[in-house]
Amino acid sequence: MRASFTLILGLPLFVAALILPFVVADSYVVHSAAMVLYFAYMASSWNFVCGYVGQVSLGHAAFSGIAGYASVLLFTGLGLSPWIGMILGGVLAAAISVPVGYATFRLKGPYFTLTSIAFAEIMRIWLENTDEFLGIPLKGAQGLTVPPVGGTSLLAFQFDGKLPYYFIILAMLVGVMAATHVMERSRLGFYLKAIRGNRDGAEALGIDPTRYCLTALALSAFLTGLGGAYYAQLFRYINPERNMGIDLSIDMAVMTIVGGQGTILGPTLGALVLHPVGEMVRATLGGHVLGLHLIIYGVVLMLAVLYFPKGIIAPLQRWLTPAPKTTVTVVTPKEVEGR
Amino acid sequence: MSTRILEVDGISKRFGGLQAVSPLSFHMEPGEILGLLGPNGAGKTTAFNMIAGALRTDTGAIRFNGRDIVGQKPWDICRLGIARTFQLSKPFGGLSVVENVMVGAFVRTAAETEARAEAEKVVDFLGLSAKACTDAEDLTAFDRRKLELGRALATGPRLLLMDEVVAGATPTEAQEMVALVRKVRDLGVSILIVEHVMKVIMGLSDRVIVLDYGKLIADGPPQQVVNQPDVLKAYFGERYVQVHA
Repeated sequence: MRASFTLILGLPLFVAALILPFVVADSYVVHSAAMVLYFAYMASSWNFVCGYVGQVSLGHAAFSGIAGYASVLLFTGLGLSPWIGMILGGVLAAAISVPVGYATFRLKGPYFTLTSIAFAEIMRIWLENTDEFLGIPLKGAQGLTVPPVGGTSLLAFQFDGKLPYYFIILAMLVGVMAATHVMERSRLGFYLKAIRGNRDGAEALGIDPTRYCLTALALSAFLTGLGGAYYAQLFRYINPERNMGIDLSIDMAVMTIVGGQGTILGPTLGALVLHPVGEMVRATLGGHVLGLHLIIYGVVLMLAVLYFPKGIIAPLQRWLTPAPKTTVTVVTPKEVEGR
Repeated sequence: MSTRILEVDGISKRFGGLQAVSPLSFHMEPGEILGLLGPNGAGKTTAFNMIAGALRTDTGAIRFNGRDIVGQKPWDICRLGIARTFQLSKPFGGLSVVENVMVGAFVRTAAETEARAEAEKVVDFLGLSAKACTDAEDLTAFDRRKLELGRALATGPRLLLMDEVVAGATPTEAQEMVALVRKVRDLGVSILIVEHVMKVIMGLSDRVIVLDYGKLIADGPPQQVVNQPDVLKAYFGERYVQVHA
C-alpha cells in the first residue's frame, strides 16, 4: 500500500528532478535545486532513526561536521580521494554515535533532545576554538578550504559546473530512500516502530530497545556524515558553524516533522516546501528584518503540527490512494455472523 | 522437581516502607493453568512483573525449566520462552494486526516472509483473519486484547503470563477469551493468569494461589480454595467470615 503510494508520488518528482537542470540551465537554479536535494537528503538521514524511533535528535549536525572534517582533512593531509574520505568520515560519525547514543537513549522525550543539543554544541564550540589538535590543523572558526585541483576531477570530487554535484546528491537521495524502504520492511524497521509505539510491550516481545536504537542511530549518523562530506565538496569549504551548527540540526528535524516522520517521502516533501520558503524570505526580507525566516519557519511548524500532525504527506496519501478502511467495513459484518 | 516449568522460590519486593511481596514461593507444572488471585494491592502484579523480568526481586530465585532467570532483562526472558501480556493493551500504532503479531514472530526469525507466515497462522488461531490488515489502533478493546495475546504467542512461549485478560469484557467476550486460553494450553503452553473476575478464574484454572498483603494465603484447586476462611476474609473482611461461619 505505502510502497505503491511512494511510487505514485515519488516517481513524478524523480522525473521532474532528472529533467529540471536541462529545462532551466541557469546555474543559480541548479545550485538552489541541489541545496533542496541536499536538505532532503539530510532530513531523510535524520528520519532514518528519529522518525522511526520517535526520539527527536537536535544533534545530528555533529555527525555531518565530523564526517565533513574527516573527509576534508584526509584529502588535504593524505591526498585521499574525498569519495573514500566520505565513507571513512561516515564510519567515524557512526562510531562516535554509538557511545553518545548509549548514554542518551536511556533518556526519553525532551531529555534526549537536550542531551543531543549539548553533544553537538560541545563539539562545535570545541572545534571553533581549536586551531590544532594532535598536530591536525583544524583552524578553529575560520574553517578549512578544499584546495582546488583545477578543472574537473572525478577522483578529487571537484567539478567545473554545478550539474555533476546536482546529480550526485540526487543519486544520494534516491539511495537513502531505497535504504529507508529496505529498513522499513526488515526486522529492524518493525522493531523500531514497536519501540516507538510501546516500549514496555516491545521489551516483552524480546526486543532490546537500546541495541536496536543504536543500530538505527549508527546507520543514521553514517548517512548524515556522507551528506556533510558532500556539502564540504560542494562549497569546497567547511566551518563549524555551517557544517555542524544547530541550525542544520533544526532544519533536518523540522523538515522531517513538517513533511512526515517515519515515511519514505516525508522528509523530501518537507525540504521541498521549507527550503525554498526559507530562501525566498531570506532573499526578500532578510536585509530588513533579521531572523524573519526563522519566525516563518516556526509558524509553518506550528501550522503543520496543528493541522497535519502526521506531516503534509498524510493528506497527500489520502488523496492519492484509496482509503484502506473500506475493506475493513466490508468484512466486519461477516465476522460478526461467523461468531 | 526438574519437570517443573516454573519454580518461584522466596521472591520478595519492597517499595520504600511497603513490603509489596513477602517471600513468596510456588511452582507450576508443564501444561498447567495456574490462577493468581488476591484483592487489590495484594501484590499480584508485582509478583507477575518480577517473573517477567520487568521488576528485579529483592530476594529469592525464579527457575524456568530449572534455570535461574533472576536479573535477566525482559527481552532475554522472552527469548528463553516466557511471554507476557499487559493489563492495558497498547498495540503498536501504524502497524496492522498481522504486522503487530510479526513483531513477536521476529524473535525466532530475521526473515520477513517467515515472520509474516508465522504471524498469519497466529492471527488465524485468534479468529482475527478478517481484520488482519486493519490498523491495530482501530480495533475494539476486546480485539486489542486478543491481539496482545497473539503477539505474545508469536514469540513461541513455553510459559505464558497473562495479566487481567477479561477486565472490561462483556460476558460473551469473556467466554470467548476463556475458550481461547484453553486452546492455547492445548498447544502445550503453561499459563499463569492473574485475574479479578472470579467466575473466569474458577472455570479456567487447574489450581489457584491467593495472595493477600503480599503473602500467600492459599494454594489448591479453585473450588476448595475459595471456601477457605482466610480467602473469604481477604476478600470480604473479618465480619463476613464471622457471620457466615
